[in-house]
Amino acid sequence: MIQVKNAQNKSSMAGTVKRIWVYLSFHKALLTGVFAMVILSSALGLLGPFLIGRTIDTHLAAGSTEGLGLVLAGLAIVYLFYSVSLWLQNFWMIGIAQETVFSMRTELFTKLQRLPIRFFDKKQYGELMSRVTNDMENVSSTLNSSVIQIFSSVLTLAGTLAVMLWLSPLLTLVTMMIVPIMFLGMKWITSRTGRLYKEQQRNLGDLNGFIEETVSGQKIIKTFSQEEKVIQEFLVKSDHLKQAGYWAQVYTGFIPKLMNMLNNLSFTLVAAAGGVFALKGMISIGTIVIFTEYARQFTRPLNDLSNQFNTLLSAVAGAERVFDILDEGEEGADEKEALRLSGIKGEVQFQDVSFSYEKDGDTVRSLSFRAGQGESVALVGPTGAGKSTIINLITRFYEPDSGTILIDGRDSKTITRESLRRQMGFVLQDSFLFSGTIRDNIRYGRLDASDQEVEEAAAAANAYSFIKRLPDGFDTILSQEGAGISQGQKQLLSIARAILADPAILILDEATSSIDTITELKIQEALGKLMKGRTTFIIAHRLNTIHQADQILVIENGMLLEKGTHKSLLQKQGFYHDLYKNQFKRDTAKAL
Amino acid sequence: MKVLSFLKPYRIPMAAALSLMLVELAVELWQPLLMARIIDEGIMKNDQGTVLRLGGLMLGISFLAFAAGIINSFFAAYASQNFGFDLRKSLFEKVQGFSFANFNKFPPASLITRMTNDVNQLQMTLFMCLRIALRAPLLVLGGVGMAVAVNIKLALAFILVIPPLLVFLVWIMKKSAGLFKMVQERLDHVNGVMRENLSGIRLIRAYSRGAYEADRFSRSNKELMDKTVNALRATETAIPILLFFMNLSVLAVLWFGNIDIAAGTVSVGEVVAIVNYTARITMAFSMFSWIIMVLSRAQASSGRIGDVLGAEADLTSGGERLDKAEASGGKIEFNHVSFSYPDTNVEVLKNIGFTAHPGETVAVLGATGSGKSSLFQLIPRLYDPTKGNVAVDGKDVRKLEFDHLRKQIGYVPQEALLFTGSIRENLAWGKSDASQEEMVKAAKDAQIHDTIDSLPDKYETLLGQKGVNLSGGQKQRLSIARALIKKPRILLLDDSTSALDLKTEAKLLKAIRQYQCTTLIITQKISTAKEADQILLMEEGRIIAQGKHEELLAGSRLYQEIYESQLGLEETS
Repeated sequence: MIQVKNAQNKSSMAGTVKRIWVYLSFHKALLTGVFAMVILSSALGLLGPFLIGRTIDTHLAAGSTEGLGLVLAGLAIVYLFYSVSLWLQNFWMIGIAQETVFSMRTELFTKLQRLPIRFFDKKQYGELMSRVTNDMENVSSTLNSSVIQIFSSVLTLAGTLAVMLWLSPLLTLVTMMIVPIMFLGMKWITSRTGRLYKEQQRNLGDLNGFIEETVSGQKIIKTFSQEEKVIQEFLVKSDHLKQAGYWAQVYTGFIPKLMNMLNNLSFTLVAAAGGVFALKGMISIGTIVIFTEYARQFTRPLNDLSNQFNTLLSAVAGAERVFDILDEGEEGADEKEALRLSGIKGEVQFQDVSFSYEKDGDTVRSLSFRAGQGESVALVGPTGAGKSTIINLITRFYEPDSGTILIDGRDSKTITRESLRRQMGFVLQDSFLFSGTIRDNIRYGRLDASDQEVEEAAAAANAYSFIKRLPDGFDTILSQEGAGISQGQKQLLSIARAILADPAILILDEATSSIDTITELKIQEALGKLMKGRTTFIIAHRLNTIHQADQILVIENGMLLEKGTHKSLLQKQGFYHDLYKNQFKRDTAKAL
Repeated sequence: MKVLSFLKPYRIPMAAALSLMLVELAVELWQPLLMARIIDEGIMKNDQGTVLRLGGLMLGISFLAFAAGIINSFFAAYASQNFGFDLRKSLFEKVQGFSFANFNKFPPASLITRMTNDVNQLQMTLFMCLRIALRAPLLVLGGVGMAVAVNIKLALAFILVIPPLLVFLVWIMKKSAGLFKMVQERLDHVNGVMRENLSGIRLIRAYSRGAYEADRFSRSNKELMDKTVNALRATETAIPILLFFMNLSVLAVLWFGNIDIAAGTVSVGEVVAIVNYTARITMAFSMFSWIIMVLSRAQASSGRIGDVLGAEADLTSGGERLDKAEASGGKIEFNHVSFSYPDTNVEVLKNIGFTAHPGETVAVLGATGSGKSSLFQLIPRLYDPTKGNVAVDGKDVRKLEFDHLRKQIGYVPQEALLFTGSIRENLAWGKSDASQEEMVKAAKDAQIHDTIDSLPDKYETLLGQKGVNLSGGQKQRLSIARALIKKPRILLLDDSTSALDLKTEAKLLKAIRQYQCTTLIITQKISTAKEADQILLMEEGRIIAQGKHEELLAGSRLYQEIYESQLGLEETS
């Protein structure tokens, strides 16, 4: 499960195009409209010059002015409709294309919300961001123009071919001689550009990831004076992108040139062969002249099509990277019969649960314990013993490799993740705040909370006074680097958020560790009230939190060594006793 | 425009690409003439030799055009890719020199879009310009010239339409450049929401806010869509309008032509010729307007890139270094330092003054939000004080070279920031040429060696971004090791031991004591503070008490309170 490989690793170009088509086909009615407008504009585009030719014959050449005004007015109307049909087809197509891009982006984002947490553990944020922006950009620019181009090219191609065949099948055959060459040339080029586009998008994603990380990590880069090193690394990645981009552009540049040459070649062939045929009296000179014009007309849409094909390849390269994510295995979809919980008691039980982040080595080994309704459970043990992992399992960020976790006596796998988490409140290790106002950040705990409830929660978390001291109070906007808000204050805000959520199960992960002791006492008091009637799991290093807990779980190397109350564990004279004596007791002595 | 100057180094390949384009164009214009000669001199005169000879010539020049086109590809790709590369390089270097005040103006998500997406836009535009851009204006000019040669009076009928259409195109270009700028800004926003969601993914999952976030994303995505649709539709309006007026001018040619034919001043053939030229010019014109649209988009992007390149980094490196004699071992002085974050007017530090002598340990205590972290950030000059000065070994830090100053400082911030890569690579941030022994020593001192050693790949273990596959305490210790490996003369520990259990913390602090460095440590624990040579007690941006444990215990009410609060904790246990 850890390396969620995409199912269709070798999804072909045709497959990708088909998938894009699925999105487009939601707009069938409009697409039909676009198609109709393309036909109309093509027809009117031919009708105009034809009518002009007629007018020259009937009026100018004949020296007659009679009714010319009327004819010209008619022509003006033809051209008006021509322009309107052009405008409409573009107008609609832009709408369709951007709606498609919108749906793909939204779907990609929604998908990210459903991927298991471990998917994100080894992904660079910027690399994922590149898929939403740069890769989708390729799809967007292609859809805007290509669909119309392809429609009209195919139409013109068919029309011209018909006229050519009608004029002279023999010369048509001569003209068609270039088609196999063209086909081979296109194949040669696109087999290269396809690969290069993919490489280019991958390198771009890589670079995007690097930029994001180095911008986010400025504090470290600056204090460690690593600017030079980072720039060097950037240049290497930027150079990779340049190389792929260079060859992609060079090969792409070949296409119109190749088509141009073939175009000229067919022109020459028609002229030479036509000349020979004419000498032998097989065709008239007039036919040659008309035919060379049509040979040109014939290659232009071919030329356009081949160009569009290449643009399509760059879109495919982008779309594939988006589909790769869409094909990732989801956070194990909830079981079909999964129950939506509401108003639970909050009893949590682990039965022989084992789990490891990597395939090798268990992080948690056959763990069993039970936390009754309203109980507080302190997880104690050295750093990295597996305390955070237990929390990750309760919240189902990760699924156990074996064993079961019961919530109110029910296997948690049979409960929808969403409803399960709705029963929980969190204060996590990283007090993550969103850009937005303080009020919005607290309200994240319960979206329908009133302003007053938000402020009460802030007061309960002892955050009220510092918020009020800020110039904009609850409406202070937290920006990027959170200027003016300390790490400890961030924690207070995330506690307020948890208080507002009013959960049955409360999870405190090293929450109080960087708050000064005076504030902490006040928080303890608030938390004490909050914890009443809620099952609480706490990872804390403060002794009083631990000793007030109803139950202490002593964890080492992912195993449950001892459990019990502070008193009973001390009496047991085991690991906890040693831990207590070595650390807390000595610490107490120092403090005294 | 600043961005245009990046084209300078590629004048020669650009000129080469453009000349090759001219070769192609010449061939294209020559060919119909050759065709005419094949008919006139060959077929009409029944001369098969001439037909084949001229046919061969035509073939020859089309290969010439092909060769020119292919070589053009290389030059055009070379110039545009290198142009893009140079732009990215300058942008990235510029951003590395940014102060945090600059970052407030250019949020990360926006910088990222500018460095990739906007640069791509420009790169594509340049490539396209080098390959086809000259064509359109040349074809227009050529067509106009030919038409004028045929009959200037009739030609005027459509030539007069061209200037207002050009004005119209320029107007649309200006307008759509503005619209595309908004598109790019919306893209920044989408990027921003995306970034926030990735960094806050755990919290979002924890609170089951996936649907809420999807809604938020959807809104900003919708805005992006709307702006894109607006911009594209505005530019796409140009071509139909242009075509309509050009076509009307053909009708004018017919109308006046008819009158002139009747008057006998013009021949039917001439009218036909001018109608044909007008048709060609119309084709070229619509291509021309398409190019203008692409340019307007590029203009928006180049403006955004120019903004970044033009931003003044308001924190610049000083020029001095400490010589051997001055570098006495990491004395830190704060003289009447006040500080408020850029673009805010709340003073988070007020008139701070203290001295940390070489080798001393100074503990900084205070309530959350009292200014402890802000104080730390002034030492490696992440920010400059608004009043007063900070000096290291007697020299104002603003006078020192960034590199020189920061090389002496080991800074461990509150949030342990690690980078994608192996543990070894992360440790090497502190010292790029560190030996295995040095790494192990630093890791052992930071109490993280055993943990690393127990990992299957040991020092080669790969970390995800921000070290997500490590626990909070492990991350902290790794970032301490990264600072220790520098053997800094000044060590700044910003509450870096908060996620550690007491036993590990004690071992760590003991190990740090062997390093001969001035240590500033932010802590909440009296037990840690007690060991320090000096304690600074902060409240609301001021140092309200300063001295040794006993002195503070005797003299500071707040310190007593803190002491008692912790004493209480320990006693009840």
